[in-house]
Amino acid sequence: MQKSYLIKRILYAIFIFFVVMVLNFFIPRIGVDDPAERYYPPQGNMTDVEYDIIKQVTREQYGFDVSNLQQFLNYAKGLFQGDLGTSFRPGNPKVSDLIAERLPWTLVLSVTNLLISLFIGLMIGTIAAWRRGRWQDTLLLNMSTISTALPAFFLALILSFYFGFELELFPAYTNPNMVSGFDWSWEAVKVVMYNAALPIISMSIGGIIGYGQGTRNAVIAVTNEDFILTARAKGLSRNQVIFKHTLRNAMLPIVTSLGMSISGLIGGAVIIEQIFNWNGMGTLFLEANNTNDYPLMMGIMLFMSAFAIVANLVTELCYSLLDPRVTVGEKR
Amino acid sequence: MKKKLYHLLKICGEGLKRFFRPIGSFIGKLWRHPKGRIGLIIVGLLILTAIFAPLIAPYDPYDVTERASKGLSPSWNHLLGTTITTGQDIFSMLIYGTRVSLIVGLVTGISIAFLGAIMGILAGYVGGLADTFIMRTVDIMLVIPTLPLTIVLTNLFGKSYFMIIFIFVLFGWTGLARVIRSLVLVLKNANYVKAAELAGASRWHIMIKHILPGVSHLLIMNTALTCAGIMIAEAGLSFLGLGDPTAISWGKMLADAQSGGALLFGHWWWIIAPGIGIFLSVFSFMRIGLVMEEILNPRMKQSSNIYKIFKTLNNNYLEEVFESMDESVILGDFAEKEEEIA
Repeated sequence: MQKSYLIKRILYAIFIFFVVMVLNFFIPRIGVDDPAERYYPPQGNMTDVEYDIIKQVTREQYGFDVSNLQQFLNYAKGLFQGDLGTSFRPGNPKVSDLIAERLPWTLVLSVTNLLISLFIGLMIGTIAAWRRGRWQDTLLLNMSTISTALPAFFLALILSFYFGFELELFPAYTNPNMVSGFDWSWEAVKVVMYNAALPIISMSIGGIIGYGQGTRNAVIAVTNEDFILTARAKGLSRNQVIFKHTLRNAMLPIVTSLGMSISGLIGGAVIIEQIFNWNGMGTLFLEANNTNDYPLMMGIMLFMSAFAIVANLVTELCYSLLDPRVTVGEKR
Repeated sequence: MKKKLYHLLKICGEGLKRFFRPIGSFIGKLWRHPKGRIGLIIVGLLILTAIFAPLIAPYDPYDVTERASKGLSPSWNHLLGTTITTGQDIFSMLIYGTRVSLIVGLVTGISIAFLGAIMGILAGYVGGLADTFIMRTVDIMLVIPTLPLTIVLTNLFGKSYFMIIFIFVLFGWTGLARVIRSLVLVLKNANYVKAAELAGASRWHIMIKHILPGVSHLLIMNTALTCAGIMIAEAGLSFLGLGDPTAISWGKMLADAQSGGALLFGHWWWIIAPGIGIFLSVFSFMRIGLVMEEILNPRMKQSSNIYKIFKTLNNNYLEEVFESMDESVILGDFAEKEEEIA
């Protein structure tokens, strides 16, 4: 990989982040002259005089009493110091603190889900490609049609009904305070995994089949290449060819879809989290939405976008490391 | 000026005629394909259900006054029982839910096809500044998390299906525009386009009359697949309560079932019914899209033995055969025109 390519990609990522930052700053200001009206919408029992006072206080508290440009500069300055703003919640906690508190909970779900989907999916996909046209392949094809047409949240409802309410194997609603002070002890991990079982299963069924189908198609596409025929003609066994030649070359499309899954790690489980009452970023966002907590909402949005930008950048760089054909001059 | 506008409108009309011409032959091809036929039949039934919902539904699904018949199990009077909270007839709700799902899916799918085609063709054919601007916009759109933004925007502008469609279209055209752009870059170098350029045709003329019909197959396929994806997304948003709070939709039915205690009291039919509705509509549109892909791209055919044998016998030969098949499909009825010009 050339250095100029690396620098170009990083500069481009910074540019995109800047644009997202500007959008993020202006979204709560769409349609109103005074952002204070967004932050505190008028209540029914409030007189105009009272509302004016409240608006005045809000303006001072959130720094709306200067020009728009100055506000944006202050916002950008705060961001570079790691300050995402303060929430409306009692005690006015920092948005970054709230995110730091909830982020691990979401990552428990999404990272476990990603790992399970990736490993089982790779295995199933390789088997299906290996037994192409047999019942294993047909089964995967039919399963993928069904699982794509069923939304994950519907699956989650069914699972929470059957395993949570009927069999009472796993909790259908998780307790937000399931562990007090997580300390990586075996007991604590066991409690978390017990609670996370149903959300993870309902998320990973689609993921497993998706990765399985992707792997199968990638492996079959590589199997049709000339060098596989050469390897077979050289007298290598079928297994050797599959594991040493085919899988390595089938990695490229899988890395692309992996990159897409990674950029969705934080924001991808909003509905599942809501169904199982899981205390993660998704529920934090919905809570913020229900209380009109704009600093918190926009903070989470910016954080998610920044995460997606970094994930895309890393995927692209990995891709160019894996595939030397991607060069500086190439346009996408 | 007036004359120019008239000329442009005429070109648009002819371009659209050419654009829609393949649809008829496509439906014929779909009907002859066994898998495609299933999809077409289900979509037809769903559309009929949506149109004639008031005639099919045995009860008024908006009627929340039937306090006497709350939480009934399925019987001949109430095919899928009634809701626990308000006593609405679940079967009637299921039928009325088809309307929201189909309208949101179809309107969004078609709008995305139009916007994606315009942006992709502009980026691919005009190139230069337009290309840079459109593709950079696409890059930015792909980074912004869609679901949180949808939640924020519905919070700002009110909850309605119009808003949901607007946001889906705003964020949905990006992927399509990329694909169309790369196809247009290929079409741009086709002989008939070059010939039209040399003959002095204007850019608009070429884009509407020559390029647009060339990408129409891809657009129709993509519309079917987008409809399927949008229906799932719409169900998710309705489930979160971001749709029109007064309309009945399958996602909202699921949310009502969850909050209304269907899980707790074991009323599984209240959850399964909207799930089957979502499944059938998404499945049928997906089927149509996938069958179209198979027709368009014969290389994707599953486990065809002849293909395998040819492949091993003479790799290059078959590659050429399929390459030519793809091109003739892409160029469609322009192959003859090309000969004509030559």
